[in-house]
Amino acid sequence: MKADRSLDNNEKSLQGMLFHSSDFKSSDFVAGDRRYRLFYLDTMIELDMVQEHIIRPLLISKDVSVREAVSILEYDETDLLSVAAKALVEGKTVLQIKGEANLYLLGTELKKERSVNIPVNERVLRGSNEALVENLNTNLNLMRKLTKTPDLVVKFYMLGRRSNTKIAVLYLRSLANEEVLKEFDYRITNIDIDYVEAPGFLQELIEDKKFSLFPKILVTERPDRVRSYLMDGKIAILTDGSPDSLIVPVSFWAFFQSPDDYQVGWLFGSALRFLRIVCFLIAISLPGAYVALVTFDPRLVPFEIALTLQSSMQYIAMPPVLEAITMLVILEILREATVRLASPIGQTIGVVGGIVIGTVVVESNLISNMMVIVVALTGIASFIIPSYEMSSAARLLTIPFIIMASIFGLIGMLLSFLLVLSHLARKNTMGIPYFYSMISRDTVKDTLFRGPIRNLKKRPKESMAQDETRIRGSRGSAE
Amino acid sequence: MIHLEKISLNQLFCLVILTQVGVHVLTIPFEESRHSGYDSWMSVFIGGVIVQAVIIIIYQLGKKYPDRPLPHYISAIAGKPLGSVLNFLFAVYFAESSLMVAVSYSDVINRWVLFETPWFVLIGVSLIIGVYIASSTLRSMATITQTIMVLFLICFIIIFISGMGKGDWRHFLPVGTHGLGSILKDTLPAFWAYAGYELLLYVFPFVKHRKKKDILITMSLANGFTTFFYLLISFIVTYNYSESQLNSIPEPMVFLLRKFNWPVVQSLDILFMTIWLSVTTVTVYVYLFLSARYLALVGGEERKNHTLLVWIIGIVCFSVGVWVSDRQWMYQFANYHNKATVIFTGILPIILFLVSMARGKVAGR
Repeated sequence: MKADRSLDNNEKSLQGMLFHSSDFKSSDFVAGDRRYRLFYLDTMIELDMVQEHIIRPLLISKDVSVREAVSILEYDETDLLSVAAKALVEGKTVLQIKGEANLYLLGTELKKERSVNIPVNERVLRGSNEALVENLNTNLNLMRKLTKTPDLVVKFYMLGRRSNTKIAVLYLRSLANEEVLKEFDYRITNIDIDYVEAPGFLQELIEDKKFSLFPKILVTERPDRVRSYLMDGKIAILTDGSPDSLIVPVSFWAFFQSPDDYQVGWLFGSALRFLRIVCFLIAISLPGAYVALVTFDPRLVPFEIALTLQSSMQYIAMPPVLEAITMLVILEILREATVRLASPIGQTIGVVGGIVIGTVVVESNLISNMMVIVVALTGIASFIIPSYEMSSAARLLTIPFIIMASIFGLIGMLLSFLLVLSHLARKNTMGIPYFYSMISRDTVKDTLFRGPIRNLKKRPKESMAQDETRIRGSRGSAE
Repeated sequence: MIHLEKISLNQLFCLVILTQVGVHVLTIPFEESRHSGYDSWMSVFIGGVIVQAVIIIIYQLGKKYPDRPLPHYISAIAGKPLGSVLNFLFAVYFAESSLMVAVSYSDVINRWVLFETPWFVLIGVSLIIGVYIASSTLRSMATITQTIMVLFLICFIIIFISGMGKGDWRHFLPVGTHGLGSILKDTLPAFWAYAGYELLLYVFPFVKHRKKKDILITMSLANGFTTFFYLLISFIVTYNYSESQLNSIPEPMVFLLRKFNWPVVQSLDILFMTIWLSVTTVTVYVYLFLSARYLALVGGEERKNHTLLVWIIGIVCFSVGVWVSDRQWMYQFANYHNKATVIFTGILPIILFLVSMARGKVAGR
């Protein structure tokens, strides 16, 4: 609908378009022989800005055009009411001069945001202490500041039929793989949904298949981590209103990398990396292995240890499978409770859970103390994995492993490993393989171990970057 | 989509080794020592050398048709109707090899580890895993194999340490007294143990390589590794058991492992056999995969539904496998299988190569 010359008519139409929202306001003022009217949503605008940069200059300079008078950067003109209505919702102020069928859209939106904080979920010992926030522009600003190159491309998508959420996609033009970009673009432009809840919705919507045991998209709140992936030729997705960034495409091993690995020297970094992978294996298989040992193959362990196991299980009525599953469920309940509880009460859980349940369960012969040790170790091991999604995946796998172990013993454990392995090996993300074997020459440097930076001359293969070389000269002096 | 079907030389290496080694490891060198006694290691070695010769022939054959796998170009060599029949026979042979491995290892597990688990469950489980993996792509199979290689190396180390026990070098002496005839006679059972390299017939065009020669080198390295591994086992066993002892131990490796006492793990044999299951699984799924690929090209058009084919083959194998729980049957089956192995992995590739040479000559004129 075209704008009308009459102020009142326009006000009425806009009011109709916004369905008579109560926060829709208008205000009049006169300067010289011009009569102005402002339309705005008073919940969305910055009052000072309107007063200082729109009304005051217009009152002072009477004969110049609006563009010359107002001191506002975000300036637009339109004669369409629908565009004006949309601008209102975004927090712009719409200005009209009586007798003109032209609307001026002036950016005056109110910015309510928290300041850049330290990361809460991904803490590191060395490295930057900035975390992404909910405001998209702030996040983009952080990213641009870290990556000062025109090569960094920011592309906006609007997603959500009813929420109009802005999504920014970042990548380095000279590195990101064209095929992957095309695939990604295809996937994201074909989403038609009411609103998106980032990162959860997006993650599931752009993934290849619905069923996947392991996370295939890396979520991070650290700008420095986002940058390191951009530099590998990956794509980062930022969503307005979410302090998390999604990284695609990543391989299985990316979930075991932490920024810390690259700060502490490669020997210790490798040790940390190795520890994490071992902990992942412990998290998924330790209770199962224990169940297999005590129910099927006590012959496998040396005699003395077998005796210790025997004595700890002597008076326990429950079969080891049930013991293990019960303990794991208790652990999960405790964990979930600690997340949900208000922080002052949180400590109670520690006492009730750790001390009361832990001791009493053993003293009352419900669960053997060996099993308590095993499950506690499993729980702690699962928390070492830097990615929350991956550690949940590990904890989810524990129980099927226990069940398989209780049916087939150690053979069952091996079979489950093979199944998980084949599940991993057939997964793709964005048309790129998800799992690379750790012993292939190209990947070993940054998977099981973290090789010396000087040796990481090539980008990881998994992102299929256009340019593979990362280091052209490692230092000034000759080797 | 990015092309994913190629495998690297590294992956080829792992695939070949792990397809070659399988259940035979437990029986080496029992079967090879029927005639040659403590000289069986020579039979094992000669077996490896013969296989190397066949690998070179297969490589030459592959080089003539570098862009297609065998089931595609078989009709170009043998003619359409015969090509289809050969494809079908290959498919049957591979399915049967897969079944053979699954059955014999289930038998081993049934006797040594899981005594009470019903037979059909063991067969079913090993085939289901095989089918699930074989129904994916060649690349993902190769990735899995590469990871299983780590487990194989663990087994290798276990075998190595367990063999260092008390033995006697005099078991080897005097070298070569059994005569060349009996040693050569025993290369035949050794040859069966090396089966698996024939996967090059299919895989050749899918290997990423700079020079064609690299493929031959990788294949030779893989075969060399397997030969070395088998030789090592023969040495270890002969070192530990004399000829008369060996005559009554059909699975010497298991006995060796059981005999060995390690303070951390009481009975290594169970651990070994558990991990070894992953290695035999490789053989199972590689053969299932090959079988489905050959079957896909029987008759005119290529059948696209690979997953379905694998499942069908798997189900057929399972229903046959359930019936061979009787060990008498199994021996007969093994007998027949061994003959088939010689034909399909040795004689047929050579004939195909000769025919393709002859055709090339005719066309050249």
